[in-house]
Amino acid sequence: MYKDLDPLLHSQLRLAIISMLVVADKVEFTYIKEQTNAASGNISIQVKNLEDAGYIEVEKTFKNKYPKTMLSITKKGRKAFEAYINDLKKYISPK
Amino acid sequence: MCLNKYINIAIMNQNDLTAKESFSIIEKAISSIKTSYKESAQIFLLWGWILSLAWFTQFIILKILQNKDYDQIRFYSIGNWIVLILIGFIFQFFIIRKINKEKKVSSYLEDYLKSLWMVVGVSFCVAIFIGIKMEIALLPIILLIAGIGTTTTGLLIRFRPLVIGGATFFIFSIAATFVSGEYLNLLVGAAIICGHLVPGYLLKSAKE
Repeated sequence: MYKDLDPLLHSQLRLAIISMLVVADKVEFTYIKEQTNAASGNISIQVKNLEDAGYIEVEKTFKNKYPKTMLSITKKGRKAFEAYINDLKKYISPK
Repeated sequence: MCLNKYINIAIMNQNDLTAKESFSIIEKAISSIKTSYKESAQIFLLWGWILSLAWFTQFIILKILQNKDYDQIRFYSIGNWIVLILIGFIFQFFIIRKINKEKKVSSYLEDYLKSLWMVVGVSFCVAIFIGIKMEIALLPIILLIAGIGTTTTGLLIRFRPLVIGGATFFIFSIAATFVSGEYLNLLVGAAIICGHLVPGYLLKSAKE
């Protein structure tokens, strides 16, 4: 039924990650973990998928000697998200 | 239902994500991004204290040295400003470093506010140059620029006391045209207390 939707975004965790990044300039990895309650490994895989697709950027720094990973959305990611929303609308109210 | 519970349920039905469920995930993910501007209060309080102190000490310097020669007054006045502004920037550096370390979400609005206050800072410098060059009263213009920055910040973060604080700068700006001499320093000090310190403390104690 939902074959037209971007398969990269039509996934619970990836959709949640990209939605958070749409409204914030940068979001820390641990914040996503806290909010989604998903396992770190699972989030890492989804982040890698989104990064490989060019939808998000990953910035690794250090906070009190511990690694700090900040995520942000790219222009391509924003466009893909907008397209995904428009495609979703068609299913909610098909003409 | 909060986002993590929703995702857990959705993961169980991995392949059955409906359009409505997708919208729900989007909605919950977006609402989970909470940005707090309470840390901005620390910057408002820092500069509120530094600047009000600078204007009040300027008043004291002018009062004590009123019968001394111009060079001596100028030396203490400039020294007063340089020392306090320098202290302000040192504290600001450490406060911002601490905020950035603890921050998990940075919003677009923070970037707008940073740009706004950079423009305000440049406007202060330009106004000071124009004031000196054209030998015109500077303080009403300085208060007006402070009012623009503060009111806009209040409107952007939707914090009414800051909007009102910014508006008081406009009133003090007009009032400054009726006051002259060393008492202008007291007026500006009072303007900073009303426009920065009071809203700064209210922002600090505000609920999330």
